[in-house]
Amino acid sequence: MDFRRIEIIFLVVFVSLDVFLLLSFRSSQHFFNSGSTVTSTSVEMKKRNISTGKLDSDQQYGYYLGAKPSGVLGQNYNKLKNQSVTYIANDDKISSNLISPLNVNGKKKVSVIDNFMKKDSNILFGEKYTYSPQLSSSTKIVYAQNVSSGAIFDKTAQLVFTVSGDKIVSYTQTYIPSASVLHEKSVLKSEKDVVDNLYTNSEIPNNSKITYINLAYTKLLEANDNTIYIPVWFVTIKNTDNDISSTKQVNAFTGAIIKDDSSSIGDN
Amino acid sequence: MRFSRRVVQILLIIAVVTSIVLSFFVWSNTARYQLGKDIDLTESSSYDKDNIPIDQIISPTQVIWHDGKNQKLIYNSKENISYTIQESMKKWKIQAPELVFKKDGAKYQQKIQQKDTIQLVYPTQISVNTLGYILGDKILQKASDKTFDRIIFTTNNGKDPFVYLADDDSYTVYRAKVGNASSLPVLDLAKKSNINYDVQLNTMKQGIRTFFREPISMQSYSYVITSKNDSEYTSPLFSSSKYDISTSQNGDNYIYAYGDSLRLESDHSTGELTFNDYSDNSVPKNRLDFFLRGYNKVTKIESSVSNLRLFRGNYKQKSLIYREYVEGFPIFNKTTFGSVKINFSRDGSTEMFINRVLEVPVPSDQQKTELKPTSDILTGLVNSGYLANDIEDIEVGYQWKNEENADNVVDLVPTYYVKMQGKWKTYSEWTNLSALEE
Repeated sequence: MDFRRIEIIFLVVFVSLDVFLLLSFRSSQHFFNSGSTVTSTSVEMKKRNISTGKLDSDQQYGYYLGAKPSGVLGQNYNKLKNQSVTYIANDDKISSNLISPLNVNGKKKVSVIDNFMKKDSNILFGEKYTYSPQLSSSTKIVYAQNVSSGAIFDKTAQLVFTVSGDKIVSYTQTYIPSASVLHEKSVLKSEKDVVDNLYTNSEIPNNSKITYINLAYTKLLEANDNTIYIPVWFVTIKNTDNDISSTKQVNAFTGAIIKDDSSSIGDN
Repeated sequence: MRFSRRVVQILLIIAVVTSIVLSFFVWSNTARYQLGKDIDLTESSSYDKDNIPIDQIISPTQVIWHDGKNQKLIYNSKENISYTIQESMKKWKIQAPELVFKKDGAKYQQKIQQKDTIQLVYPTQISVNTLGYILGDKILQKASDKTFDRIIFTTNNGKDPFVYLADDDSYTVYRAKVGNASSLPVLDLAKKSNINYDVQLNTMKQGIRTFFREPISMQSYSYVITSKNDSEYTSPLFSSSKYDISTSQNGDNYIYAYGDSLRLESDHSTGELTFNDYSDNSVPKNRLDFFLRGYNKVTKIESSVSNLRLFRGNYKQKSLIYREYVEGFPIFNKTTFGSVKINFSRDGSTEMFINRVLEVPVPSDQQKTELKPTSDILTGLVNSGYLANDIEDIEVGYQWKNEENADNVVDLVPTYYVKMQGKWKTYSEWTNLSALEE
């Protein structure tokens, strides 16, 4: 028997087997790698030049809040001095023109307004509001009201100052004295879940940057003479090609993107 | 010539060894891929993020705290204490449970009334493997699958390194050693409760029930309710809209079918739907499978924000009943089956559910309600001619009221529900007496 020939035949067979096994191993490796790239939305966003900053994936909780119209502003607006004030009862809202406009030139305009708000004769319940750059623009400076469960980004609970040149000439104010918790706490979608969801729904264009991401309460509906608020993620996306910003709202309970226009959150 | 033959032999040996090594890699790689598929079924983190989480559906609904003096049912209307405790248990390292005693009613009563303990009470019997799945605890997932209703642990931090699992049906208690656990945060939560009622755990025909010793003052609630169109159920239940769904109508009854295997019947007059899947004809082979299959079915019809909890599970009959809950108490709507009822059988699975879901809570105009102590309710039933043995079950629950108003707002008013002759009815319906404290 020609053992040498048999050895050569075996060698050819085993080398072929090795090539086959090597190819199958590499293809299975490729399967795993491609699987992980599909799931990594953040890597894909980087490739598309979308800058998100560090996103928090920690679990957060939120509530359904309810508030009744109070008329508190209507009862107190006569305490305001040096302004011409109108109380609009239907909207439970103050509209005021400052007799001496407030100078806010330079970078310190927020601290100037903060100081102005400290006096009850200038702004009612001023300590309940915090400056919100996300809701503000060059002509409007928006302060959102805070309640014990968090900030409210809604036109039913905010102060909007109108800027003309370097002066604040007027403002409008809405206010809710208290918001009651209507349901035990519920788990919310995290920052990361929300941004991933916006990206997969083509709501974030290429070459863009997330400039603000805030969790705040906003009005959901009115029922039983009460306004019901739910937690919503407000995500501001700036397109770096044209510097235009847009704010998306995402229901923090469900992760659903709220298609409503942004007019509900402020007057700007 | 000899040299070249030696080379061939060496090359052959290398080729053989290489093929063995490569075979091992390919094999282990494939095995890992297959294992990954299995993990999807057994790891708790794998469920769809958009679905209501399983630990919310299968959750203890009562937390009973023995503070050394009295046993109290506690609740915090902002916190959901039972869910939060179950969440904190995910960090605990719980070992496989071992038997402490079995079929001993006296010892069992002692255990569930032990001083300085907190117990989490599930509304129905669950199992060790199911708890392991919910907590993501691999040891419990692989342990022998005992059944239990209560998790009991002491509040004397560190003095008793065990957590106890108690089974009402068989008066059996297991204990499992726990590491990385502290009862202090749980005790802090218990102290933060804003609702607490003095209770006593009494034995009834259906097991141990929580009796309120004093009249209880309870809040009413209101919710905006929503309904869906039938098409919003057919697409998730029939898996895809591309299916050729046949529709027929008989009065208020709409029937949707795909082939001979899937059928949805929607009664528009009652808002009740029944879904039959005749291809789903294998019965669950263990309790974890039973609860997971129920969970998968229920999440197809429920939104991600839901107050739904597992209310009763009957493994022998392969049936599961889910109800919506408010502040730890079940809601009894007008159906006879709860909010969702699922049955598995060799003839296929059946899912009955109601097309009216509590969606958004709104402040209630209703006053607080003061209910009688549970023993007064039992006395009232006996005085009305029922035998104590007729009473199959008793629960404080919420009743739907003023459903037909314009705003789609329903009021939830607390009352006693009693199960007799297989039916849940309010105490007033059984006796014509009021459950309110005078």
